[in-house]
Amino acid sequence: MGETFYIFKDGELRRKDNNIIIESLEGEKKNLKAEVAEEIYLFGEISMNTKLLNYLSQLKIILHVFNYYGFYSGSFYPRESNVSGYLLVNQVRKYDNSEERLRIAKEILKAASYNIYRNLRYYNGRGTDLANPMREIQSLTNRLDLCTSISELMGTEGNIRKTYYSSWNLIFKEELFDKRVKRPPDNMVNSLLSFTNSLIYTTVLSEIYKTQLNPTISFLHQPGAKRFSLCLDIAEIFKPLIGERMIFSLINKNQITEDDFDRDSNCLYLKDSAKRTILMEYDKRLKRTILHRDLGREVSYKYLIRLECYKLIKDIIGEKEYSGFKIWW
Amino acid sequence: MYIVLMYDIMMDEKGAKVQRNAFKICKRYLTHIQKSVFEGNLSELNLMKLKKELNLYIRDEKDSFIIFKSRDEKWLTKEFLGKKDNKTSNFF
Repeated sequence: MGETFYIFKDGELRRKDNNIIIESLEGEKKNLKAEVAEEIYLFGEISMNTKLLNYLSQLKIILHVFNYYGFYSGSFYPRESNVSGYLLVNQVRKYDNSEERLRIAKEILKAASYNIYRNLRYYNGRGTDLANPMREIQSLTNRLDLCTSISELMGTEGNIRKTYYSSWNLIFKEELFDKRVKRPPDNMVNSLLSFTNSLIYTTVLSEIYKTQLNPTISFLHQPGAKRFSLCLDIAEIFKPLIGERMIFSLINKNQITEDDFDRDSNCLYLKDSAKRTILMEYDKRLKRTILHRDLGREVSYKYLIRLECYKLIKDIIGEKEYSGFKIWW
Repeated sequence: MYIVLMYDIMMDEKGAKVQRNAFKICKRYLTHIQKSVFEGNLSELNLMKLKKELNLYIRDEKDSFIIFKSRDEKWLTKEFLGKKDNKTSNFF
């Protein structure tokens, strides 16, 4: 697995000695090992030139850019080198066939809601009474099977998420979270959710890049213009496992408190030090490994995301029916 | 595979060139932690690439490169005496 670099300082990123080097405004330098780097996350104000972008593209390194406030702005997505026309044609066909599309979308949501259920079950076993939301989520999950259209699925998913979010205060043992608000998030938990979701989104994008899948054609979400909606689909499955578990632990261990946010902005903006804490934790989680049942070897959480892409590919080319990733441990 | 690489290069007439090139090659694959010491995680393939690139410059009778390999970073404890640094960190 390649390495991921996170840059917080302001400075200049450039190509030097056939390597990538970052030099901060204070003159500090760091080598980003070009041969092993896979992704670079930029949180500071960085200047760079096309010479660097060309080099990144040559090495297939993805650059994710976050703006001053820590919101995801976009990625430098190097020229696709893993392309397959055959797969693309079939991916579009799958999307276009409403029955098939519904089946895949259902599978994604079933996996996502199962993972949500598992999160609740975990905290239920640790002295928080979550029996009611658990039961509700289970019955809503069963209802997914009966849905006959994508919009119906989305509606049920919304209900699952609503029930899920309403139980968060029990997990935090504090009144921190009322309801999910986006654009802009209005309190600490909403801001954290938005931030971690954008991280997961970028990780999924990086993993899709390594496969032949086309990131713009999705099944659950509407494949709109201007965004990689397949990332949203796959991220749905991993949000509970990677993002939300991390939020619970960050808050319950007091690693992140309201002091880490800019209060004047209604807790909208994360302080730099907090972003760092979250990313370190996030990075650690992506590297965490589990023994894969089918593969019989240790795989990291990050690799699980890629495996999900491979499963989708297998379904698309008609080799094996897709079944979403469900936490099994 | 976790790797610690170090080298000694004889500084005669051609030494500077060898040293310069070796340094540039190594830092593309590994983290430079001390004067002539590097460390990092490499795949089998990347290690082969690194060795191949280095072999273009190494003079068999004068320069010596040592590579310590460990299957995983967890089988190795790293201890600092004196100044600690975090050059291997992925955060900057």
